[in-house]
Amino acid sequence: MNGKERILTALEIREPDRVPLYIHGINEAPIIGIGREITDGLPEPKEFREMNDAEKGKLLDTLFLIHEHFGIDGFTSFEIGHEREVDERHVADDWGVVYTRSPHGLPVATGHPVRKPDDLAGFRPPRPARAHLLLLDLARERFKGAKALFWLMRGVFVRSWRLLGMENLMVQMFDDPDFVHRVARMVTDYSLEQLDMLIDAGLDVLVVEDDIADKHAPLVSPVKYREFIKPYNMELVQRAHERGIKAVTHSDGNLWPLLDIILETGYDGLNPLEPQAGMELKKVKEYCGERLCLIGNIDCVDLLPNGTPEQVEEAVRRAIADAAAGGGYILCDSNSLHPGVDPLNCIAMFHAAVKYGAGRP
Amino acid sequence: MEMLKEIAEKVEAGRQNDVKALVESCIEKGVAVSDILNQGLVAGMNSIGVKFRENEVFVPEVLVAARAMKAGLEIIKPILLREKVQSKGTVVMGTVLGDLHDIGKNIVCYMLQGAGYDVVDIGIDAPADKFISAARESGARIIGLSSLLTTTMVYMKDVMDALREAGLGDEVKVMVGGAPVTQAFADDIGAHGYAPDAASAVDVVKRLLGN
Repeated sequence: MNGKERILTALEIREPDRVPLYIHGINEAPIIGIGREITDGLPEPKEFREMNDAEKGKLLDTLFLIHEHFGIDGFTSFEIGHEREVDERHVADDWGVVYTRSPHGLPVATGHPVRKPDDLAGFRPPRPARAHLLLLDLARERFKGAKALFWLMRGVFVRSWRLLGMENLMVQMFDDPDFVHRVARMVTDYSLEQLDMLIDAGLDVLVVEDDIADKHAPLVSPVKYREFIKPYNMELVQRAHERGIKAVTHSDGNLWPLLDIILETGYDGLNPLEPQAGMELKKVKEYCGERLCLIGNIDCVDLLPNGTPEQVEEAVRRAIADAAAGGGYILCDSNSLHPGVDPLNCIAMFHAAVKYGAGRP
Repeated sequence: MEMLKEIAEKVEAGRQNDVKALVESCIEKGVAVSDILNQGLVAGMNSIGVKFRENEVFVPEVLVAARAMKAGLEIIKPILLREKVQSKGTVVMGTVLGDLHDIGKNIVCYMLQGAGYDVVDIGIDAPADKFISAARESGARIIGLSSLLTTTMVYMKDVMDALREAGLGDEVKVMVGGAPVTQAFADDIGAHGYAPDAASAVDVVKRLLGN
């Protein structure tokens, strides 16, 4: 099997020739740290936007190379070119959402263009742009069908709260549900149009990225989730399936109270299964492993930054033992390979996945 | 008293207009404002806080309850000041430098206000000197530090050091919380309290202030 076949087999809850390996997200620093083990000429770690064109090209090539060298079976793409710099600390996306940069993490949405129903009346949403899918095009050309192509698309909750502000969105769920539904409709129409474009461009797996939980609990109740989130994200899942691709969802945190609704939504897989949030792999496998492919769970909060390669290997062995029987498990970290992870631990994770994931009875 | 119980229920249900009407009606009837505060508004927020901790209600329910509580508080605040009803204490709350996340910190603020404390919210991305000057200006004996990121929570130690250097190390207690923060981390940096969730933050403040 090649990587794409392996991923698709696992998403169909069938057993591939080995447990597939996937990177959901990875920052510049670990690309450079891991990349230095297999290539040279990489710049010192810095943000992508601070790199010159040659450095950007080298970084992207290294990312592809990591996937090829370590046998990573799926490649994640995402939208680029939809943001413009406002000033040194702020960027705005094509919806008019303003993000504040921080040296300590991803930019955070702090400027919200649709605070009230009146704002919506004069609001013109953007149209999806084909040019923004460049990363998917480059990956498709590079891997030529050998790896599954994933796309990170924000779900209705994330897109809506970025437009309204999170607290405002939550309060509007009580004050003006119709307003919340109209925003949800608007962003979902955009997402559906972009999804068609992505499928035409060769996408294999849609990732509905809709973070909606912290380590204790979901942010919203199952009742609110069922009313305001599920129907819209379900449209994306159904469109993906109608057009012959897979759909998985990603949310950090403790999703147990929402798990039945996530199953009803029809997703093929669930990522990232944070161990610190009670998403214990064995328990989730027992609960719904026959209906949902599990993707993730190798701890990136403590283990990958602070553990030893031997501890990482043991965690991979255990995860495969807990979740891979009968198919339906894709090995991946528990959120992303962020700047704090130890590159050698990431490499240990890749090697262990191949070692323990292959030749299973 | 039935009306106070009803205020608590309406706070819990997030019905701000009902809360306003009931509070005004209580004042007209001569009900003591300290009773409106404690048996009405605080009782309602206390109940929602317990349910929040037990995952029976979620963030949106807390937000509308807090809004209802604040609507009632706005009405009685001038009377509380006039009658010199003492607040239970003042807490300075902020998300530490480099961190731009605010919803967790905001919920703690609402819970503390709902428990009868005065809260000075200094917002997000707050440097140590901002915590110190806010504590000095308000006379707060507690500072609450929030962080969502492992990369920013280390700054909590810098705030602890700055407090000591400013000579406030003994009189101002520090409570920490946020997704990556643990009791072990709190112990490590010498914080006086760790709140694993928003409702617990109220318990920690009560303990630290001895009320």
